[in-house]
Parts: sequence; structure tokens; C-alpha cells
Amino acid sequence: MSILLNKDSKIIVQGATGGMGSTHTKLMLDYGTKVVAGVTPNKGGSEIHGVPIYNTVTEALEKTGANVSVIFVPPLLAKDAAYEAIAAKIPLLIIITEGIPPQDEVKIQAKAKEAGVLVVGPNCPGVITPGECLVGIHPGSVYKAGNIGMVSRSGTLTYEVALSLTNAGLGQSTCVGIGGDPVPGLGFVEVLKMFEADPATTAICLMGEIGGTAEENAAELIGSGEITKPVIAYIAGRTAPEGKRMGHAGAIISGDKGTGESKEKAFAAAGVPVAKIPSEMIDLIKIALKEKVAV
Amino acid sequence: MKLFEYEAKQLFHEAGINVPKGSQTIHYPEEIVFLKLNYPIVLKTQVLTGGRGKAGGIKFANNITEAIENAEQLFNLPIKGEKPKALLLDPKVPIKKEFYLAITLDREYKCPILIGSSEGGMEIESSHSAKIVPVYGGDYSAHYGRKLAYEMGLNGKEFALVSDIINKLYALYEKYDLELAEINPLAQLEDGSIIALDGKITVSDDALDRQPKFNGLKVHHLNDLSEREQRAAMSGLNLVELGEGSIGILCNGAGLTMATMDLVQFKGGKPANFLDVGGGANRNKVNAALNLVIKNPNVKVILINILGGITACDEVAAPLIDFKQKYPDHKLVIRLLGNNQAKARELLKGTGIEFIDDLDSAVNAAVAASV
Repeated sequence: MSILLNKDSKIIVQGATGGMGSTHTKLMLDYGTKVVAGVTPNKGGSEIHGVPIYNTVTEALEKTGANVSVIFVPPLLAKDAAYEAIAAKIPLLIIITEGIPPQDEVKIQAKAKEAGVLVVGPNCPGVITPGECLVGIHPGSVYKAGNIGMVSRSGTLTYEVALSLTNAGLGQSTCVGIGGDPVPGLGFVEVLKMFEADPATTAICLMGEIGGTAEENAAELIGSGEITKPVIAYIAGRTAPEGKRMGHAGAIISGDKGTGESKEKAFAAAGVPVAKIPSEMIDLIKIALKEKVAV
Repeated sequence: MKLFEYEAKQLFHEAGINVPKGSQTIHYPEEIVFLKLNYPIVLKTQVLTGGRGKAGGIKFANNITEAIENAEQLFNLPIKGEKPKALLLDPKVPIKKEFYLAITLDREYKCPILIGSSEGGMEIESSHSAKIVPVYGGDYSAHYGRKLAYEMGLNGKEFALVSDIINKLYALYEKYDLELAEINPLAQLEDGSIIALDGKITVSDDALDRQPKFNGLKVHHLNDLSEREQRAAMSGLNLVELGEGSIGILCNGAGLTMATMDLVQFKGGKPANFLDVGGGANRNKVNAALNLVIKNPNVKVILINILGGITACDEVAAPLIDFKQKYPDHKLVIRLLGNNQAKARELLKGTGIEFIDDLDSAVNAAVAASV
């Protein structure tokens, strides 16, 4: 078991013929992901890496029965691509594209919610269920199948911690990059609930960062007792200056909102251990797993 | 991209929101001689940095002599290090009442929100004391404006005027892909009319490519950044300089860059900067990034931490070799893992460039080299 993706997931790639789309279609196929179709308007009938290309999402779904779409199209075309996937009622939409205008993101998320489509991203590395399915740009080699669930606002930081977990012999159930933008689809709260319900996940690594209140909301959920599995957190950007956007559009402290201290306090109040440095997450996960066995 | 006040007011005017009549923008004090102004006037320094009023960036003048003298002073007064290139001269008007209006994206509601207050002098950071109306799904309709005006406690003519201004402000917000549209204060004058006395507008950087009105203007709207930060911003790199630190950080991905910056501090070092070369960084980007970091005279060692997801390690290796040849004595600590890692190591063989695979050890090495 896992969340969001498994070995039977069938994927279409919107923008598969573009530079990034093509590169990652190949990497996803190499990982063993069932990429069944690509969609690029006006390129229907062609092929990329042996994958058939269709002009529309509707046709791709009719021909292949895919249940996940991943978007690699340029930022100003992303809204249309997302709308197309939502109109075709794809159950899960993963948007990798970085730099989508925020007002477009608002509309994408609203439309998806209305249609009951789950969105991961934008501006995210995607989702990986190690050994089964990789959708997005995660480097497959740093992951290994196991029982740790990971959820993170940052791509490279996820790879960092996953690599350390894998080196320590701790595999992962599913790793979800929720993205670094201010208006993400799935948030920490939704993903934590999925991990709680997933029998394959025994403990959860949550990687947050400054800006917004996603971490505080996650802490509140955990504090409410709804999440019984151990959660370990890390918060990036605790030494960042106020008012500066730190790479991610969402990583900005405004006034007294979104600070590392506020997030750390919220986690502490919910009984969630917070790692001071990334490598400490591995130590804390080991302790949490030991305690779990002891109970 | 933040706009200057005088540009924000031009947009307000374009949208049909009243602004002070007879305003002038000047770039040199001497221009005042040739202007027809109705004294008394207020002289407002045009900077992108906040806190202008407290820093002395606003002055009054009753006649031309005072105006030139005060303009001279304002042009020579940097606000938090930012030197003004223009002044806005507004007629001084008697104000009966002040309001606050703003539109911005809210992360909790996941949509734009209208913010309003019948008390002026507030700041957006403290906007939780004001009235908020979310525009669900970004699907605006005039009833949202009426709702805010009602929540602000307005009646009669004030209700009509303010809700109309909210409609016009939202039209600007949507048309130009704004991140923030703020009128502060929105002032009611003695005759009952309501005008935008001051305003802030930020255009979303991610939307600049589809906003021809702002084509090529970004370079003139970076004055609140250091020179190196400006150069980075124009080359698609994300650089934030951090005081007097001695460890230059060059990393890929915002989260890992932040984590590296935090880790340097945790281990007792002082980071000089945050620099995210972004996902999929190519050799030209890395080259530009290295050349920016080394221009900071405080930097004693550069810590490069690249974990290749979409970034290919061999793309990073090439500029490192060039850099080492150009600056053989400059200290580099390098961690380069992931995509095409073996190829990168092959390229760097015999250059004297060494790798540290473990993040904690790499940071320790950088901290040791920085003192």
C-alpha cells in the first residue's frame, strides 16, 4: 500500500514533447512508471520515447484509461492545461511547472476543488512511491521502498532527507512534494490524513519552511489527536530575514507571520519533535520508531 | 515588481479612481522652477522601501523657495540605503477622514481578499484588525465590494463611493496580475469626495511576460536591492545578501538553500548570502552565480551544495573548472550529488577540486575555512 500512486497508476504527461517533459518522461519510464500517453496540442499521432502523443487530454484518457496526469507545460500555458485535465475529470493532477502567475493558481485550485480533482503542486517535484511509481522530477535513485511517509514544501530538501533515510536503511512508503507556491493543492493537513489511513506508513517526516501557516495547521491537526502515527518535523529558513522572498514564492516572512519560531512552537505544543538540522531527522525517526515498538 | 507611488497613482487614475489634482513628478530639484504648483504642497520621496514617512521622506512647502530647499534635502536622503530618483509633489489637501483599502492573495483562504478599514494609518502587516472579504476562486463580482463597504460600516454617499472604488481597484488587480493593490490612505476631503492619497502596487513577477505595459521596466524597479541582488534578479537567479557574513552559499532548490544557510549558522558560521540557482540550472547560470558571489568582498569561502534532481552535476562541473583556473587561491567547498554525478567527477579529476558527500561535513569544512 501507499498513498496517491501505486504500481497500477497509469500516467499521461501534458507537455511530454517539451524539453523538460521529454527528459522526465524518459526518466519516469526508466523508473518503471506506467506512462501511457503524452498530450501536446497539434502533435497528436507522433510518439516520444515510444509513448503515443494525443492532441487532447480527453482522447488520451479514452484511448488509455489513465488515472493521473502530470503537467510540464510552460507557466503561462499551465492554467489552460490544468483546466483541460480538470474538465476531463482526471482524478489526480500533479503540476510540476514553476512560476505560474498566482491569479491563475487560485483559479486552477478553485476549479479542481469544484470538480473533485486532487491537485499536487504547482512548483513541486511530484510524488514517488518508491519501487512502484514515480511521477514528476524526483531523482529515483535516492529513494527505497519502505514505511516512512514524507511530505515536503521543497524538492531538493526532500531528496536530501530521503537520501539520508535510505542510507540509514529506512525506506519510504510515499513521498509527496506539495510545492513551494502560496496556493498549493494538497497541503500538509490532507497528506497527513492520507498517511494516517495508509497501512504501509508507520511514521511521517514533514519538511516545512518559513512563510504562511501550513505548518501551524498541520500541528493543530496532530495536536487534535487525529494523527496517531509519529510525525517528525523540520523547518527550513529559520535564519531568513523578514520580508525577503527566499527562492520559493511562498517562503516569505511578512511582519510577524510565517516565522520559524511560530512553527516550531506549534509543533512543540502538538508534541512533534522538530529537527534542528536535516540530518537530525533520521535520529528522531529512529527514536520514534523504537518508542512505537516499545508501546 | 513593486511600483513607485507615482506609478501606482497613474494606474489608479487610469482605472477611474480619483487622485490628487495637479500632481507632478520631478527628478531634479531645479525642475520646480518651471512647474505651476498650488502651494502649500507635500513633497514625497519615491522609493520602493517601506517606512518612508518615519525616515523623514515626506516634507511640506508653502512656497517655491521652501520647495526647492526641501527637494534638495529629500534627493540626498537615502531611505534604508535606497537613494530616491524621483519626488512626487502633491497639493496639500485638508482631510476629513481616512480609510484603508487593499487587495492581495491570501494563503489561508487560497484566493484574493479585499481588506478595508475605516481607520487610516494602518499597515497591511497588521491587517487582521481590519475587515476582510474573500473573493472565492478569484471570481469577482461587485457584491464583494458592497459587502466590504458594509463591513466597514459605511452608509449613504460614502458606501456608494467606496464600493465603486473597490470595484475599480479589483479591475486593476486582475487586469495587471497584481500581487498587491493598496490605497493607504484613501482620503475623504472636506467636500465629501474620496481620493487615493497614497498607494502601493506590486505586479506579480511571474506574470510580467504577459503584461506588455510593464515590458522592460523591471530593471528600474529594483532600487531596494543591493547591486549584486539586482544583477541576480535580472539574470533569473535568486540572491538574498545577509549582512557581513563570510560564507558564500550556492545551492539548488529553495528549501535546500535555506536549510544550508540555517546549517551554516547552526555550526557557528556566518552566511554571506542565500543563492538558489534553481532547478535545472545550466552551466551559464552556475557561472553567473559564482561570479556574483565572489564579487562580495566579505566572502572568504564559497560553499556549493548541489543535489541534482533536475540539475545535472556535469553541467555544474564545467563552470567550477573555469572558476578554479581564474581564482586558484579562492577557497571552495563542494558537495555535488545526483544526476550524472560520475560524469562530473570524471571532468573534475586532476583539477584539485575535492568533494565532500556528507552535508554536515561539508558545512563544517566551510565554517572552518571561513575564519
